[in-house]
Amino acid sequence: MSKLIIQVNQAGYGQGSSYQALQFTQAAIDAGHEVLKVFFYQDGVLSTNHLQSPASDEFALYQAWRELGQTHKVPLVNCVSAALRRGVLSAAESAENQLQHWNLEPPFQMGGLGELVTGIEQADRVICF
Amino acid sequence: MILHVVQYSAVQDNALATCLRYIQPQDTLLLIGDGINALLLRKWQEALHHTKVCLLEQDVEARGLQARLGHYQQLSQAEFVQYSLTHAKVITW
Amino acid sequence: MKKITIIFRHAPHGSAKGREGLDFALLSASFEQEVSLIFADEGVLNLIPQQAPETIGAKDFLAAFKALPLYDIESVYACQQSLADFQLDESALAIPLDVKTPKEIGELLTQADEVFVY
Repeated sequence: MSKLIIQVNQAGYGQGSSYQALQFTQAAIDAGHEVLKVFFYQDGVLSTNHLQSPASDEFALYQAWRELGQTHKVPLVNCVSAALRRGVLSAAESAENQLQHWNLEPPFQMGGLGELVTGIEQADRVICF
Repeated sequence: MILHVVQYSAVQDNALATCLRYIQPQDTLLLIGDGINALLLRKWQEALHHTKVCLLEQDVEARGLQARLGHYQQLSQAEFVQYSLTHAKVITW
Repeated sequence: MKKITIIFRHAPHGSAKGREGLDFALLSASFEQEVSLIFADEGVLNLIPQQAPETIGAKDFLAAFKALPLYDIESVYACQQSLADFQLDESALAIPLDVKTPKEIGELLTQADEVFVY
């Protein structure tokens, strides 16, 4: 069984690749592979915004990522710099920036690009979407 | 042996053209998302004539293109995972 | 340590791809990975000297390309065909690099452990 890193580079709503990444991650887990982490970079960090509120008859991509992360204990890691630039903040960054609101909740977490690089070092394969 | 993945429309983005500039004869090209639409255009059908091409099955079905693209090899999600490991690396353009 | 190759295929300033790709390249190098860069397609426009991105509200990330040797990134390549397409003179680029034919770039991609496209 192989160790994989999945990198998501596009926003969730309106662009297909976050969904593609979710499907691929699920299929990899189903096949018995270990997904070391899902790393959200570039516009991919927008997939992790807790305040996304799709209509009830639409696929809830955010919830699907959250469930996948919780069910399979896969770390869902944002690049903190890419996230801050795009207005995705956890409670900690919100406080640091003297803001009243935040929109990143567990199991999503903030990390640095260094976590992506160390993950790449450990992984057998990286797949970007 | 590389698995090249193109996820963008060849009409909107130069990803497919750039990929084809560097692809090697032993490599595989997987079209996903709007990337598969390229095969509806004669220009790309011809350009890809000598390339090993496959498509993500769910994207063909989602777009109602099974009748037109059914003769190309199609991968399930599980096969996509397999391909990503049987090839030496995956390059997403 | 892995051989990480980063391809820049987008023009600067129109998107954040170049800037975020460069961030990834520098971080990878500072984490002791063997990093190489390839400028291809419209990405060769990153190599034009004397750009002024601040005039359009963009960050001048191009200056950091000049710091590549400080990060021990010495394998920097541009696609000969892409330079020709955009009529760029090899001798008038912002940073020193090696020009490679598309065939040579295809071989470089084969040698890398992982390739990332920005």
